[in-house]
Amino acid sequence: MAVAEKKLSKKLEEIHERIRAAVPWEPLGPTPMPDIPDLRSWDMRLLKTYKPFYAPFCDLCCLCTFGKCDLTAGKRGACGIDIATQQARMVLLACLMGCSAHAAHGAHILEHLIEKHGADKKIDLGGSIEIEAPHIRTVLGLKPETLGDLQIAIDYVFKEVGHLLDSCHTGQEGAALDYESKALHAGMLDHVGMEAADIAQIVGFGYPTSVADTPLVDMGWGAIDKSKPTILVSGHNPATSTELIDYLREHNLEDKVEVAGVCCTALETTRYSDRAKIVGPLSRQLFFMRAGIADVIMTDEQCIRTDTPQEAAKTGSAVIACLDKAMYGLEDATDMDTGEIVRRMVDDGEQFAILDSKKAAEVAVKVAMELAPKRKKEWLTEAEAVELAKKCNNCGICEQVCPNLCRMGDGITELAKGNFEPIRVLFNECIGCGKCEQECPRHVPIFRLMQVAAGNETWKARAGRGPIMDTEIRTVGAPITLGTIPGVIAIVGCSNFPDIEDIADMVDEFAKRKYIVVLSGCSAMVAGMKKDADGKTVYEKYPGDFEGGGVVNVGSCVANSHITGAAIKIANIFAALPLRGNYEVMADYVLNRVGAVGVAWGAYSQKAASIGAGCNRLGIPVVMGPHASKYRRLYLSRKEEDDWRVMDARKKEIVDTGEPSPEHLAYVCETKEKAMPMIAKLCIRKNDTPQGRAIKLNHYISLHKKYIGGGLPEDLHLFVRRDPDIPLVYKKEVRAHLQEIGWQPREPVGLPTFIGTYPSKVSVDAVIH
Amino acid sequence: MSAVLPRHRVNVLTGTKSARLIEDPAEYAELIKKAKRPLLVVGPLLLETSPEGKLLLEYALDLARAGGIPICATAQTRGKIVELGVQPDCLYDAVEIVNALKDPDWQGVKKEGNHDLVMFCGIRSDLGSQGLSTLKHFARHLKTMTLCKHYFPHATYSLPNFKKDSEWYEFLESLIANLKKGD
Repeated sequence: MAVAEKKLSKKLEEIHERIRAAVPWEPLGPTPMPDIPDLRSWDMRLLKTYKPFYAPFCDLCCLCTFGKCDLTAGKRGACGIDIATQQARMVLLACLMGCSAHAAHGAHILEHLIEKHGADKKIDLGGSIEIEAPHIRTVLGLKPETLGDLQIAIDYVFKEVGHLLDSCHTGQEGAALDYESKALHAGMLDHVGMEAADIAQIVGFGYPTSVADTPLVDMGWGAIDKSKPTILVSGHNPATSTELIDYLREHNLEDKVEVAGVCCTALETTRYSDRAKIVGPLSRQLFFMRAGIADVIMTDEQCIRTDTPQEAAKTGSAVIACLDKAMYGLEDATDMDTGEIVRRMVDDGEQFAILDSKKAAEVAVKVAMELAPKRKKEWLTEAEAVELAKKCNNCGICEQVCPNLCRMGDGITELAKGNFEPIRVLFNECIGCGKCEQECPRHVPIFRLMQVAAGNETWKARAGRGPIMDTEIRTVGAPITLGTIPGVIAIVGCSNFPDIEDIADMVDEFAKRKYIVVLSGCSAMVAGMKKDADGKTVYEKYPGDFEGGGVVNVGSCVANSHITGAAIKIANIFAALPLRGNYEVMADYVLNRVGAVGVAWGAYSQKAASIGAGCNRLGIPVVMGPHASKYRRLYLSRKEEDDWRVMDARKKEIVDTGEPSPEHLAYVCETKEKAMPMIAKLCIRKNDTPQGRAIKLNHYISLHKKYIGGGLPEDLHLFVRRDPDIPLVYKKEVRAHLQEIGWQPREPVGLPTFIGTYPSKVSVDAVIH
Repeated sequence: MSAVLPRHRVNVLTGTKSARLIEDPAEYAELIKKAKRPLLVVGPLLLETSPEGKLLLEYALDLARAGGIPICATAQTRGKIVELGVQPDCLYDAVEIVNALKDPDWQGVKKEGNHDLVMFCGIRSDLGSQGLSTLKHFARHLKTMTLCKHYFPHATYSLPNFKKDSEWYEFLESLIANLKKGD
């Protein structure tokens, strides 16, 4: 026993040293740099109410040479695993891939920037941000002051990822709930890695910070001047694209060369230069490549098509792979003479990997300027499109292979008659995978036909602004926790949308109702890809401030950490709860008192899985689109049949509220129409004041009536505590309904918390501010 | 009907436990009639209309009426069902009703015990397939049946892939007629 205690204290000693625990900026909480078991009790408490719901993608486990093992009908695999545990293991693996992608991105950026500026480069996020790294402060207990300090966070993430990945080995973890706890751990780590990456980028590249009104940048391929040499940057890591901009600036070429981006690198590049253009989200990547507009394509990492070299070769675009994550089997020309690389790319059409970003930038510009005059960038005319469309006999194969179930044949058949409208609608539903064209027995060039539908329309997106300012948190903290700002809706992630216009519709619906709408990644782009009757996008219609009715683009995928970071800041700045090594208290506060909801409507990637898991551990529910059922796992409650007991921290009593708020933690909606009221409902928190609750229920009822119809929501009675909770507009109707079903009033809980309802090192007093 | 299994199952098994494909409306009707507590789950794809102008939801409502089957309305179908003069027996979204169904102790929409046969119609195929997989693996106390125009392998009973929508409409009309025969 004494030996064990000694070991533990040695381990803690090391942690204390790494996080400089002696520096007294805040008292240190119970879980600095938590290992796998340290927050397990919190996870189990969450999973008691929000039970995992599994939808196996496959009946088998194929991970080792014992199998394949059939796991149907209660059978276990050769290692002993059952179907539920196998699903949970796959979810953990997905979260680890996602977390690793962001953390490795952060590690690479840090290496690049430390090389450039030194490890002692100070972190300064401007005059309005003192809590520079809420996740790193909360999870590690470290207040990072320099780029070198961010490395400590990345090292911690990598260490934990190693342990978690180990647990996925055959013959290890045997309980689905423990795999879920580990997936939640990976999700939490992901937000640490993302935060380190984006802080490094802001500090090292001078991205906007402590400002809300960032520039409006041009979006859509119509915004690109095709007469100029054009370089496409694709992926997520801005190390190369920022060097590219620097090279153009240093050589006075900014007016002569177009730089366009697809996916998150586009957002990163426009944070660095508002003259760069955004092509669009991931779903537009293959379209743009096949259009042949880019003279040079520079890839970095994550969500870049794996067939980029082959696709680029079809249209004569040059390719430079700029990061080791994706080298495509290309010759590594990092140490080759620049002139030689340029000659071989221009004269021989060769493609290279160049892992020195400065050199890659120089080569890209030189190749683009030499290649552009030699290339023809032809755009299909409408008349040519109609002729090509006549090859289609609407056999339906395209619909059979479409992941988004699009009836391409119907649109092409209409196009052959000269009717362009159906194909324009389909273009908005298309996720850009190219399977339809690959399978078409008549070889109809479906993507080229849709280019005509896409036309040359241009839009505006607000450049990513980075963290939410402390000053903004001070202003909105009270109205969010009291409920008078009805919620924070974070619309994040990838472009696997049922319909691309759903995002702008959601943003508009909630911004006009004075929710705070926050965006990131591909969702941040497509929010701007719809115009209202006055020709305005949501970015032109609403301010960029973190306030009711604001529409805030925080930036790329890694900037998601600023959204969850804002929730922590509300607990820390507004409620004055210490965050240092105090994850449970922060998460408990967010779950019970901050009406925030994540919406990952087009989630497709493993990164989205880990971001979502990180939100869930922090107490933020996430609503996803229908494709996300393929992640295999949700966290669902069963309304009144589940455990809705909380501790009233003021009275130190456990209270059975019977109120399912928030009702689910990870939820899939089939349609936008269902999602609208569900998002509003998931903003309800037990802490709402009567005034705040009435505002939230007003939106819930109104959205239900607008999108679902058929009367009042069937579960409304569960969210009405007393008569003052009933919104004025619906008073008469709701009172009559409640009377009819025999509703009884109940007392609201003074200070709701999970702490005290499960075994924890944290005392109930810790949540009282 | 299970997928055809190879002799050396552990090494080469690739298939799944697949739905029994049924093309005869009378056989489908018999299966429904045999159920003690059936449930019909309707999804938003039924808000589309046939080329003849019939709302697809009407097929589902006719079927429910003919078989005396309670209706669960998902997504935004509730509004249209009420508009057509029918009060759905319960409102859940797709994942919520599947979540309830997989609990053997759930008392069902009529509070008479969990359902023994659940029919799905009008839910998009990716979400529908995943929900059926959940029930296949975790709800062995019930059987599932699909009424959509395509084959769903994760169901217990499924219709085939109809080449033409008109064949599907004919099947549904015949199924409704067969259910009425038992009245």
